[in-house]
Amino acid sequence: MKALRDYVKSLFLLELMKGLGLTGRYLFKKKFTVQYPEEKAPISSRFRGVHALRRYPNGEERCIACKLCEATCPALAITIEAEPRDDGSRRTTRYDIDLFKCIFCGYCQEACPVDAIVETRIYEYSFENRQEAVLTKEKLLAIGDKCEAQLAADISAQADYR
Amino acid sequence: MSDDQMVTIEVDGRKLEAKAGELLIEVTDAAGINIPRFCYHKKLSVSANCRMCLVEVSKVPKPIPACATTVNNGMQVFTRSPLALAAQKGTMEFLLINHPLDCPICDQGGECELQDVAVGYGSDVSRFVEGKRVIPERNIGPLIATDFTRCIHCTRCVRFGAEIAGIRELGATGRGEHMEIGTYVEKSIDSELSGNIIDVCPVGSLTSKPARYQARAWELVQREAVAPHDSVGSNLHIHLRRNQVMRVHPKDNESVNECWISDRDRFSYLGLYSEDRVTRPLIKTEGQWKECDWQEALDFAAQGMKKARGGDGDQIGALVSPTATLEEMYLTRKLMGGLGSRNVDSRLRQGDFRGEESAPWLGQSIADLDNLNGVLLIGSNVRKEQPIFAHRLRKAAMEGAWVGFVTPFELDMNYRAEQLVSSPAGMISDLAAVAKALGLSGSLVDDAEVSDVHQRVAEKLKTAEKTTVLLGNLAVAHMDYSLLRHLGALIADATDSVLGFLPEAANSVGARLVGVAGGDGLDSLAMLNSPRKGYLLLGVEPDWDFWNPSLARQSLSEAEFVVALSAYRSASLEENADVILPVAGFTESSGTYVNAEGIWQSFNGSVKPMGEARPAWKVLRVLGNLLDVADFEYNSSSQVLEEARDSSTIQPGGNSSTPGELNVRTPAAGLVRAGDVPLYASDALVRRSNPLQKTNDAISAAVHVNPQVAKDGGFSAGDQVMVKQGNTGATMALVIDEAIPDGCARIPAALSGTGELGGQFGEVTLEKA
Amino acid sequence: MGFKNAPMTSAKPVEDKAKLFSSEICSEIDRWIGKFPEQWRQSAVMAALQVVQDDNGGYLTQELMDKVAAYLEMPPVSVYEVATFYSMYELKPVGRHKVCVCTNVSCMINGSDRIVEHMEKKLGIKLGETTGDGRYTLKEVECLGACGGAPMFQIGNKYYENLTTELVDSILEGLE
Repeated sequence: MKALRDYVKSLFLLELMKGLGLTGRYLFKKKFTVQYPEEKAPISSRFRGVHALRRYPNGEERCIACKLCEATCPALAITIEAEPRDDGSRRTTRYDIDLFKCIFCGYCQEACPVDAIVETRIYEYSFENRQEAVLTKEKLLAIGDKCEAQLAADISAQADYR
Repeated sequence: MSDDQMVTIEVDGRKLEAKAGELLIEVTDAAGINIPRFCYHKKLSVSANCRMCLVEVSKVPKPIPACATTVNNGMQVFTRSPLALAAQKGTMEFLLINHPLDCPICDQGGECELQDVAVGYGSDVSRFVEGKRVIPERNIGPLIATDFTRCIHCTRCVRFGAEIAGIRELGATGRGEHMEIGTYVEKSIDSELSGNIIDVCPVGSLTSKPARYQARAWELVQREAVAPHDSVGSNLHIHLRRNQVMRVHPKDNESVNECWISDRDRFSYLGLYSEDRVTRPLIKTEGQWKECDWQEALDFAAQGMKKARGGDGDQIGALVSPTATLEEMYLTRKLMGGLGSRNVDSRLRQGDFRGEESAPWLGQSIADLDNLNGVLLIGSNVRKEQPIFAHRLRKAAMEGAWVGFVTPFELDMNYRAEQLVSSPAGMISDLAAVAKALGLSGSLVDDAEVSDVHQRVAEKLKTAEKTTVLLGNLAVAHMDYSLLRHLGALIADATDSVLGFLPEAANSVGARLVGVAGGDGLDSLAMLNSPRKGYLLLGVEPDWDFWNPSLARQSLSEAEFVVALSAYRSASLEENADVILPVAGFTESSGTYVNAEGIWQSFNGSVKPMGEARPAWKVLRVLGNLLDVADFEYNSSSQVLEEARDSSTIQPGGNSSTPGELNVRTPAAGLVRAGDVPLYASDALVRRSNPLQKTNDAISAAVHVNPQVAKDGGFSAGDQVMVKQGNTGATMALVIDEAIPDGCARIPAALSGTGELGGQFGEVTLEKA
Repeated sequence: MGFKNAPMTSAKPVEDKAKLFSSEICSEIDRWIGKFPEQWRQSAVMAALQVVQDDNGGYLTQELMDKVAAYLEMPPVSVYEVATFYSMYELKPVGRHKVCVCTNVSCMINGSDRIVEHMEKKLGIKLGETTGDGRYTLKEVECLGACGGAPMFQIGNKYYENLTTELVDSILEGLE
């Protein structure tokens, strides 16, 4: 009996029709896909993109060189060197993130006691040579300056959950 | 209750045996039961003011501090009962009331006792909403950074100052919330042991200033080493990060340095990164220095040595720093032996080579110093020469030991000691008088005039139970060292005291064991007095490392060829050497030091040598190969050590002194120089450690005389005076100092400006510049 | 060992102690020293500071404290500790009459706040300050052990108890 039913099914291409029907239905439905790069998908305030170093509103860099991010980084992507600045405060002289090593886990921003190192919403970046994959302190601060408004908004949106 | 009676107590259900009268916290520490604490420190007195170690004890209604409670038989202790935990939690909350919560900024973060205990006993959220107390920064010198806002008033540093360093400079002023640790008046902490308060501080109040904000605790890798300066051989922990020494801490060794180290051992590492480190071999051709590669430099050195030697090995000699490792010393001697020369010496600061002595042992174990009842120190500024020995002797003095000094200038002591202060010639007659008071006779002794004080010294040494007579650096540098030693030996013998030496440098004893000091060749003075054609210098700077620097510079400059193995370049070295081979410095090379007690302490290199520098034993090994010295195929320093150990026949034992001729060389009249080596001028590494050079112990070249001498010469304080010593002379400032006796001018050696002068002891005249 | 059971004495005591203070002060301090065991000269520090302070018009200077330290053969910082701890020592010049008001529990319950407020208004100064004419200094102190007569204050060596604002007025006016 089963053999007969299978024979009829395959003779009249019923399986194929079913599949084509499903495909056909979606042809007229609303589209899910976006036309990247012209269009972009919405991003969560928890998104973990490329890193940035933030400043206080008075322009002072937040980072105090406590090196907790360096310690917590599971990929050993962060390298920090510090020394006392002229005013006696501890500051970084070097803050490098190797994006080839980074796994964007977000531990660094979670470890940071002063919300200095954060991950931005930026996910579009490319390198033309290997050196560029290392984000230096200057680059990180520049990214931070560019995205400060968004970063501040994202952090305050997440404040209740941290 | 007798001390050795044993009692049984029960801690958290565990039965423990303890000595009656022991502190509860000592018993639990020994058993590995953790009780949190801040103010308790095993080497300091109990103050019980932090209240963190509260525990519950049966039949006691309230929790009591474990650090101030002695054990009783049958005592039941609960360290984690609800009552104990509540007490500890409460204490923690109080301690955190005023403690800032900025651990990420604090240098102690990651190795902080408060942080650790807060994780265990603190609450997550503070109930304290009022403002926290803030204390402005206090400057207490170039070595220690302060941040008293973080202070929890455990007073460990105050007790350390009073009980260990012997200078009570820190205190707790004010009351209650206004209590502050500080010096009250702005001043620096001037102690040769001050760095230890960094270790005793449980929080980040006192941290190392040179290492401030340089590294975090968790980045550091710990290696072991032995201190390269004095003959204590303090055990060290080297903390390094990315092939750079970041700081130095003591390693506990109860029989050597306990848990302390001197500031010199702690901060000298900074000299490693001095600008004048040599990182590539240098050769001098036609008066010009140029960098070259190792092959060229080694060939140049070997050729030069060969040429200077000619047919007679005696024409060359080696002068070795007493801080060189045993391996380096052994290879130097073997290398020179292979070239037919027996002229090797490391006793560069000895002023008199008459007679013979045994190896300069301490004559007893270092820990024995604690239990002495009487000590006579001859020519020893022990506080500034071997700070850890000074601490041990102070311990003995605190327990009632009599300590006496025979010294050419009054010493700044941190306990009450008897000081026989007299001019360099007077030191001999003082000792002779003490010997006479003991009923001795002999050519020096008979003429001595005995006064009450000599009688008293003799009495003290005779009646006290455990006594010792120790010879220090100033005695060794004395131009009549052999007489001082001879008299010291006589006194020791007559009073049944141990004769001991306080050797100058980390490997002064080791040098003797491998025949670098006291061998059968020429001694260092003879090698310079009758100049050789070729010299090998190992870690030596002509200006600063010799008893008579002007003689050294003259002999070296007249020599045909001088090979210098050195980690640093200096003007006098560049002037006198023909080739500088860069060698590894402290922590960069493996090696062995034999300390004053005779303990062989080996260590490994912790970091790679800077630049192209190589460990000196490797350089010597290759030089040996190039000079075709037999049996010079070593692959590791431990092979060298083994061979050195096998070749050494001297064992620690009784000290002896055989006098040479007994005529006094020190002029009895006129002004005689007493040249001590200041604490922070002792060797090349220390001289380059900037923070140490900024302390008050780093003095600059000056003539110290007493007011009478100054008046007679018509000088006033601060005058520039011309010091003439033999045919040498130098101009320096005059300091009027009550501590100097008549007939003596204290002119410290090894400082910039004193390299122009002659021997550390000798007749001088002063003229207005 | 430990500086609690063995005195921390200066290694090099000043030889001519009589030169440090006038002979009356010296003999007064010596009288106090005599009350303690021989090696515990420094136990006389509180009395010595009081004697020296009274002689100096009611306050101590660092120089005086150093002299006391030298006289008692103790480290200067130990003297500073004592002088800063106790409220009866003054480290700044004070007025002729030092009014020490207790504000501890018993006095507080019985209205010491009102007394303080009244005096502050009357004298025109705050606690810890001295009037411009140098007559009065107001000082807040801890319990003086006269809780039975709370609220109270001390002027000179005399206690004034059961204070009311009227009583305060009359006491202050009674002082020259």
